Amino acid sequence: MFYMYLPIAGNSVNILLILGLGGFVGLLSGIFGVGGGFLMTPLLMMFGIPPTVAAASDSNQIVGASTSGTLAHMRHGNVDIAMGVMLLIGGIAGGTVGVQIIKLLRALGGADFLIAITYVIMLGGVGGYMFWESLQGLKKSKNSTAEVKTTVEEQKSGKKSFLQKLPFQYKFEKSGCNISMLLPLGFGVLVGILAAIMGVGGGFIMVPVMVYLLRMPMHVVVGTSLFQILFTCINVTVMQAYSNKTVDFVLAVLLLLGSTIGAQVGTSIGKKLKADQLKIMLASLVLLVCAKMMAGLLMTPTIMVALKGGH
Amino acid sequence: MKRVVYGLLTVVLVSLAWFGSSLAAEGPLSLKLAKTNIKISTFYNGTTLEVTGTLPADEDVVVQVSGPKKDVHLKEKGKVAGFLWMNKTDVSLENTPAVYMVYTPTGATATQFLSPDLGVGYKALVKDITINPESADKAFIFGEYVKLMEKSGVYAINEDTVKYGTPDNGTKSFTVTLAIPSKMSAGAYKVAALAMKDGAVTNRVNEDLTLELSGLPAAISSMANGRPLLFGFMAVFIAVGAGLLVGVLFRGGGGSH
Repeated sequence: MFYMYLPIAGNSVNILLILGLGGFVGLLSGIFGVGGGFLMTPLLMMFGIPPTVAAASDSNQIVGASTSGTLAHMRHGNVDIAMGVMLLIGGIAGGTVGVQIIKLLRALGGADFLIAITYVIMLGGVGGYMFWESLQGLKKSKNSTAEVKTTVEEQKSGKKSFLQKLPFQYKFEKSGCNISMLLPLGFGVLVGILAAIMGVGGGFIMVPVMVYLLRMPMHVVVGTSLFQILFTCINVTVMQAYSNKTVDFVLAVLLLLGSTIGAQVGTSIGKKLKADQLKIMLASLVLLVCAKMMAGLLMTPTIMVALKGGH
Repeated sequence: MKRVVYGLLTVVLVSLAWFGSSLAAEGPLSLKLAKTNIKISTFYNGTTLEVTGTLPADEDVVVQVSGPKKDVHLKEKGKVAGFLWMNKTDVSLENTPAVYMVYTPTGATATQFLSPDLGVGYKALVKDITINPESADKAFIFGEYVKLMEKSGVYAINEDTVKYGTPDNGTKSFTVTLAIPSKMSAGAYKVAALAMKDGAVTNRVNEDLTLELSGLPAAISSMANGRPLLFGFMAVFIAVGAGLLVGVLFRGGGGSH
């Protein structure tokens, strides 16, 4: 009872457990605008799903959750489509370059080392900075009612002259910035490369890039990130199903049922939280995953072999 | 002429008597599976399988489930930069059974039935397995692989599980309940009963066991493998549809910006 067989994963799972897992990750997705792949894949592996099937089926699930989340954010006016499209184009180009880099490194050896180190540095760096910065923001907002936005504006002015000289200037209305299209495109490429190296969707890198480098308002960041993730994951799902036959549709549907509802609830919760509160929560989550990964790297394993394709 | 006929008859009778007695020495070992075909349907979560049989009263029986053989590709963990534990070296175990479970009799120590000479137990499996690269430590790698498989439930040495009935007329019955974990995928398996006496196998019988996908799992598996591109688009289409549906259903809950 309450169990369902997953034909591609070759194992059965507790329906309630997977629904709950989908709901939890969908909630995070709705609140923070991350796909949640960096959390979901390791959790699914813990429940006996092969790593390749876990990653591919999760991307299928993210398609559903991010559709639901994007729709909710669009309704709130939180999606900057033009910005999302630029980041997406950059992300796909970067992803293609990243895959080639990994192929080259695998041939030369040492790819796994690079992946693990990139993971820890990115998670630790991004999480640490976000945590510190949001803490400062929260402290400031306690002292005065002025928005953190003012400090952002101050920091912005220094770089203004250089950024305004770049060609293809465009007014991204929802994001409230007038910048060159090359900027989101370039950052998209960088995130795409990192995401391909790390084997993740890149939401947790893209969000800080939009917040700190593109200076977009946090709520628009979340909506735009989900919009971009939706298209990235559609591409990944079709490619994984076609090339590797690793998309477990039953698993994806179970996760979907939980995550689409979770994403809606998450969006409502996110609306009630302040930008700094959102950032500090996401930072804590990223730091937690980083700490778990570090522990895995430093502690002597109980089993000295792993099936190829795992972490 | 009569003498020749009597002579031939005597030879035939003596031969038959000798042949019969030699069979009796090997023992009347029998094995029966409650089912030889297990269907993996939508709500399947593994199952159990009743196995019964008979053997000579003064012998022991070990039941073994194994198959199908495959090449396993692994990563051996090692230290990088002196302190980071990572998947380091590629290593393959060829001709390794995907499933291997042994059931030993109640009231007897399992170790007496497990040895390469008897062809039972993990050490017996190592003989048939080849490792690539050859320079790798086969016993160590296979030992670690066994730990990994035991964790997922497809390798096991189940002690004290085969139960005997009361001996009658020189034979006794045995029963054992096999665990068929959900991780045991569709395929052809062999269930073997090995009769043992004084540290040697006296007789062996095999039965085939098939696990096959049926219903929804079969339909999904055949589409994912037969029409992968269509399957990918269908998966995306349904995910987008579910996302939109939930989005519309939650419309009332959304606030203004």
